[in-house]
Amino acid sequence: MDQQLLNAIFIGSIYALFAVGYTLVFGVLDILNLAHSAVFMFGAAITYSLVVNHGLAFWVACILGIAASALMGLVIEHVCLRPLRRRRAPPIAALITTIGLALIIVAAIEQGKPGSLFAWLWVDGANSVAFPSTAVPNTTWHVGDLTLQASKVVIIPISIALMLVLGYVIRYTQVGRGLRAVAENPRAARLMGLDVDRMISLTLVISSALGGLAGILFGAALSDISPYIGRDSVEVRGLAVIVLGGMGSVAGAVVGGYLLGLIEVLAIVAIGSNARGGVAFAALFLMLVLRPQGLFGAQLREKI
Amino acid sequence: MKRLHLVGLLAVAALVAACGSSGGGAPSYSGKTIKLGAILSLTQAGGVYGPQGRDGMNLAVKQINASGGVNGAQISLTVRDDASDKAQSAAVAQTLIQQDQVMALLGPTLSNSAVAVHPLAESLKTPILAVSTTGIHIVPDCNFPTTTPCKFVFRDSLGEETAIPANIKSYVADSHPKTGVLLVAQDDKFSSDGGQIVQNNVAANGIDLLKTVKFNKGEADLSPYVTQAVQLRPDVIFITSLGAIPAKIMIEARRQGWQGQFLGGNGFNTATVSKQAADKGKGARSASAWYIGNTFASNADFVSAYKAEYNGTDPDQFSAQGYAAIKILADSAKRANLTFTDLAGDREKLRAAMEKVNIQTPLGPFQFTADHDVKQTVWVIAMDGVGGFTLVHELK
Repeated sequence: MDQQLLNAIFIGSIYALFAVGYTLVFGVLDILNLAHSAVFMFGAAITYSLVVNHGLAFWVACILGIAASALMGLVIEHVCLRPLRRRRAPPIAALITTIGLALIIVAAIEQGKPGSLFAWLWVDGANSVAFPSTAVPNTTWHVGDLTLQASKVVIIPISIALMLVLGYVIRYTQVGRGLRAVAENPRAARLMGLDVDRMISLTLVISSALGGLAGILFGAALSDISPYIGRDSVEVRGLAVIVLGGMGSVAGAVVGGYLLGLIEVLAIVAIGSNARGGVAFAALFLMLVLRPQGLFGAQLREKI
Repeated sequence: MKRLHLVGLLAVAALVAACGSSGGGAPSYSGKTIKLGAILSLTQAGGVYGPQGRDGMNLAVKQINASGGVNGAQISLTVRDDASDKAQSAAVAQTLIQQDQVMALLGPTLSNSAVAVHPLAESLKTPILAVSTTGIHIVPDCNFPTTTPCKFVFRDSLGEETAIPANIKSYVADSHPKTGVLLVAQDDKFSSDGGQIVQNNVAANGIDLLKTVKFNKGEADLSPYVTQAVQLRPDVIFITSLGAIPAKIMIEARRQGWQGQFLGGNGFNTATVSKQAADKGKGARSASAWYIGNTFASNADFVSAYKAEYNGTDPDQFSAQGYAAIKILADSAKRANLTFTDLAGDREKLRAAMEKVNIQTPLGPFQFTADHDVKQTVWVIAMDGVGGFTLVHELK
């Protein structure tokens, strides 16, 4: 069970990091940004490419990968969200535009082969690759029966530190107050002289930077980088985590991420390896029946 | 005068026609096109295997067309991606058969998709040659549980029912392992078939299967499953899964400190998997339908032509099977006396000719068995830790 507990904490951290960015956009905009999973993949893919195909040091590549993901946040805002806001489209329309962008990003990366248009970004097509151990050292410690891998251990302090910083920024700074004002009532915020568009852009930049970072850590820890890593389990679980935590609540996303990781691993150990998804989602279902607003979803809709 | 001219022309024409068809009595297909369609997984899980298959096929088409075609006919190959999805695979097959009117099909890449595609081709009486599917009930019983042999379905890939037992047996002879754990993706036909074959063969080889750990192929984090396996300290971990899964399991198991032997199936047999697993995969063994250094007559030519065509990239088993498939279809078409006017009749003629194929391929001398399956040498190979494979045993 002990090693399994560590497994749960590691995957929980990644769920949390992914979900924090996801929930931030929901908190401010009331919109699910379904391109978040593509940004998660994009961050990992570009970082891999910078390390392996362009020979950069891992940490430099990480910074550039996170910056590229942040830029992708601006693309999401300007391509998928702002034009819809201008035309007062219902929030559901943003679901479609962000899914569309996600598919385009995945398809573009998928086409990356030597000699192709996207070769500078990705050359491995649909293949799955791993960071070479020479470029990304992954020290492993054995403590008793436990195995601690550096690539997984670092996720925990990074996740917690980032979430604390984000929580502080939202709660105590001018920018955070601006974000909360927009989340509360965009029209009132605008009347008070806030540049709402700028606030929304900022939200997407922060959210996407976090998503990209989560992707990089995922790729390094699980030795799996491909055009598809954001899909399937990560995207659906990210959604589950933010619902569990309370839509729009950053603290809820953190707790929800760890909780889902724990429930899943517990299901595997206690019931059987093929019970993971079923038990986890049954627990979610129960949770929602008992507490529809999620763990941290305030009744009064105080968001982010 | 004019009439004489005409007679002369006719005589010349008759002579030319006679010369054209005098080469061993083969019919002339001059000016015609043999349309073939390939359904391959170029993206998603099977994207690890499909592109090499396509490259092998394209190379064979290019070579055949450059050297005069099939009795003068050019081969035109349409490759379509099924995104590793069963439903899309069937839709693509239907389009190729009915809309594009291809004479024969190749593929699909994954056994999971073959379950939908092969019965469809059979019902539409279109020959289909499986180039990489290794699951159970591919040939001859494509309509399993109905056991009537499928007339139009052939395969040039080595079934896991042959490959996995051969691999286990050869490793047991070398190292006498006592215990094993099986890790298997349960929601994929290729993977679960492979798992079934492992389960059926461990006892006879004296291995105690301590546990079977099942998971779903779409799961991102496999470490809890690997932990379950590693905690039992088995001598062998069997992995019957595809795409990125084998490499992810190997990396995680080594990081968790496990030192035993990985044994697998066809999912191991491509450079992409060996490259992803890198040093963590070194020594992982599987039985392959092809080995780059094999000494069959046409293999060296194939390898050098492939490298010349694709910027020095080594072919893998899937390239060799794709390449061989085109050669098999071309040879069959050559002997089939095609009309190019009656598509249904031509498909039937091609099918009949495929049953009598007997040619040299990079896979070895090639003939189909009575069940339309392949009978060939099995190569036990091991990952070399740097993206390639080394030969362990040749099993005739």
